Amino acid sequence: MTKTEIRVGGLGGQGVILCGSIIGKAAAIHGGKQATLIQAFGPEARGSACSAQVMVSDDVIGYPYVKHPDILVLMSQDAFNQFIPQIKPGGLVLYESELVNPGGQVPAGVRAVGVPATRFAEELGRRLVLNIVMVGFFAGVTDLVPFEAVRNAVLDSVPKGTEDLNLKAFRKGYDYGREQATLIS
Amino acid sequence: MALDSFPADVTLRDGSVVVMTPLQAADSGALLAFYRHLPEDDRLVLKDDVTTADWAEGFLRKVETREVISLIAKTGGRVVGEATLYRTLHGWTRHVGEIRVTVAPDFRRKGLATDLAASLVNIATDLGIEKIIVQVVDNQTAARRTFEKLGFHREATLPHHVMDVAGMKRDLIVLANDVSQIWAAMEAANQDYAPHLS
Repeated sequence: MTKTEIRVGGLGGQGVILCGSIIGKAAAIHGGKQATLIQAFGPEARGSACSAQVMVSDDVIGYPYVKHPDILVLMSQDAFNQFIPQIKPGGLVLYESELVNPGGQVPAGVRAVGVPATRFAEELGRRLVLNIVMVGFFAGVTDLVPFEAVRNAVLDSVPKGTEDLNLKAFRKGYDYGREQATLIS
Repeated sequence: MALDSFPADVTLRDGSVVVMTPLQAADSGALLAFYRHLPEDDRLVLKDDVTTADWAEGFLRKVETREVISLIAKTGGRVVGEATLYRTLHGWTRHVGEIRVTVAPDFRRKGLATDLAASLVNIATDLGIEKIIVQVVDNQTAARRTFEKLGFHREATLPHHVMDVAGMKRDLIVLANDVSQIWAAMEAANQDYAPHLS
């Protein structure tokens, strides 16, 4: 049984939960796998710590909590500091490179790849889609779920009228992720 | 959607492909030819006499000042559709834009009007326009459906407001789309404390 444990972390208002939800939907609804999502957020609406635990598996998932993630998707320094000690040996850290400074804290044997998702989102016209850039980056680097499955999950998950820009954000992150994947492989 | 994402190839429902692109001065002859070949009935619902060179010249001036955003659909050098976003650059309706879409008779029922209108709605949203209106005559059922699919709803009806070539008076319907709500919905989806996980 292949099981992948993912932790998405960031700040409230960055769309952390939506990011995790899209990854889970891509795997379970469009990718033919099993997936679970657990969300945690602070008491404040914006700016508080927030994370999502996503489990993706080829088989039924009996325990949905992520203790030692294979993949970390991190959008804030606080989330990085909090979750980096939990990463599994040989794991993968995907981080927003203008909001997170790994500063030598990445354990040996763990691969870490950054993406300027906020800048990409702003260049596309709306900072709001930075989480969708991260989804694309995740899909491009990990190849855990097929491109089309993640694309369809994005389309399923974003509000009507925003699909066009969100798909561009997804594509931008995906293409950048593919480039980075070849560099770290 | 920024204007620099054009020109873009658009595949229509019947498999034919048109190029969607912002109107440029070089297209003015093809645009005039497009409007001159429209049936008179269709031209009558337009606010201007779009068959004159003076109109084309004035229209291009407004395009240059960005008072008007015009997208055309072309195939083989021929203009087969045009969509215009009119906006006021100052004053109390500067948050409002108005859309008009016209498609050549042989390119109707292929989804082109929807593609043109959807592109303009996206452009308008990115320009910061918060409300878009469109005017349709009560018997333009297909046009009304096209806009309703894009989120427009009937906001007003002006009874007997327009008169067709036969002298028959018809109701003018004003459809509106509060596009400021579109990105508010995305913001809500990103509110991690109360996520929408439908």
